[in-house]
Amino acid sequence: MMRGIHQNFDQQQAPAFFARGPSPLARLSFFTALSLALMATDARLQYLAGVRENLMTLLHPLQIVANIPTDLYDAADEYFSTHHHLLDENARLKKQALMQDIALQRLNILTLENTNLRDLLNAKQALVETSTLAEVIHVGRDSFTKKIIVNRGKNHNVMTGAAAVDAKGVIGQVTRTYPASSEITLVTDKSLAIPVQIERNGLRAIAFGKGRDNTLDLPYLPANVDIRRGDKLVTSGIDGVYPAGLAVATVIEMKTTQDSPFAHIVCMPAGGIENNRQILLVSIPQTELKNLPKETPTEKAQPPVAASHTDIPAATDSASPAPAQPPQKTEPKPTDKPAVKSQPKPGNPVTKPSANDESGQNAQR
Amino acid sequence: MHNDKLKSIYLSLLAAFICMLFPWSGLALTLRPDFMLLVILFWLLRAPNQCSVGTAWFMGLWVDLASGGIFGQYALAYTITTFFAVIYQRRLVLFSSSQQLVYVFSLLFLSQLILLILKTFAGKEFMGWSYFMPSITGVLVWQLAVTFGLNTGRHSHGK
Repeated sequence: MMRGIHQNFDQQQAPAFFARGPSPLARLSFFTALSLALMATDARLQYLAGVRENLMTLLHPLQIVANIPTDLYDAADEYFSTHHHLLDENARLKKQALMQDIALQRLNILTLENTNLRDLLNAKQALVETSTLAEVIHVGRDSFTKKIIVNRGKNHNVMTGAAAVDAKGVIGQVTRTYPASSEITLVTDKSLAIPVQIERNGLRAIAFGKGRDNTLDLPYLPANVDIRRGDKLVTSGIDGVYPAGLAVATVIEMKTTQDSPFAHIVCMPAGGIENNRQILLVSIPQTELKNLPKETPTEKAQPPVAASHTDIPAATDSASPAPAQPPQKTEPKPTDKPAVKSQPKPGNPVTKPSANDESGQNAQR
Repeated sequence: MHNDKLKSIYLSLLAAFICMLFPWSGLALTLRPDFMLLVILFWLLRAPNQCSVGTAWFMGLWVDLASGGIFGQYALAYTITTFFAVIYQRRLVLFSSSQQLVYVFSLLFLSQLILLILKTFAGKEFMGWSYFMPSITGVLVWQLAVTFGLNTGRHSHGK
């Protein structure tokens, strides 16, 4: 491609007929064939994963260089943030800390109670998730894919399939890991699916990214399904990828049409999909997962990675009506009574403590 | 002389690549011109013996890698685009600067179109007409560069 011809640079059209090497058409066909072969290999076969990984390692310093301007800007911004602003923030944080303290105290009591009751019921302990805090290095360099790159990778024990979570909810899943970075596919990407549950009534479904508008779809649900605008979707936890009870999205549109047996449901993701720098990567330990199937055989059906990709909605659907409700879902009912006694809930006339709702909300806090 | 040119070609390609790597998001991402293709086109017109279809293909691979998509998509788009650029390269010398602008725009547009087709085949969603904005901003960047005295290979500018 690079011709080693000594030639004056500004008079390129004077020389040669012959000095140009293979004709443009020949080059075109050669490189087109090469690209097509690459595409086919990368899309259908797995040979290029290792190559990609190595090249990404090469690319890492460049990424850091490219981030310098924004980092500098952030640093300057922080430095010049006003006194007033800091005071404001301080007050707000103090208030928040206080409120969280209260919530935390209650959580401690509940956790204790829950553990005891679990022991009594001989139930399996909830999985302890391992988590890593990561920072976004790159946000979508390609407008087609909703992916971000974060600065934690294999070297930091990040595994493919881990859930990516921010303060407000799930934002995606780790789909590729490189030595020092990893790639997160956002929930709004078309190829990502999340098993969810409606917080209000415990209905299970699978949410798919829409690929544009930053929204999620809930396809394949019948037109008479009990979902309303404003319903909150939380992770159901039956896939063994996402810990149960994390907020995923809110239903913003629910439409049924005459010509379709399915409802048209659009949801807005709860997490800050595009505006967060810090992200928590949560993975359920693989060893615990292996123990899991003894009690609940259906949960084994999907290995973490496969569960999140689009091609198996039917399989997951068929798994959901099975009686394999994770044990932690159903039993908080007895917990409620002592909890209510020790901590009267304001503004909640405790008439019907729906088990699912309670556990979902607690996990969220 | 020759080595200097090669060096500046590589350095400018590297700079363009870093520009692509900036953490663009939101509106900026929609408007982001394809720096890499602009630089490749510039060198194609300026130094067709040092920079050719192969260079474009190679740089396309790196863009593919950075974008996290399937390997070969950008590479193919750049290859076809630069092919047309090379074919018309000699005629371009006679173009006026506005004609040149139209020509560059159509090339940028072509590469986006090819990319769109490839991505659609790979199962991605078309995001609306704002997808083609980078072609327009790309031409603006080109014009800006020409205004600031960058010689894009036309005789009238020749030193």
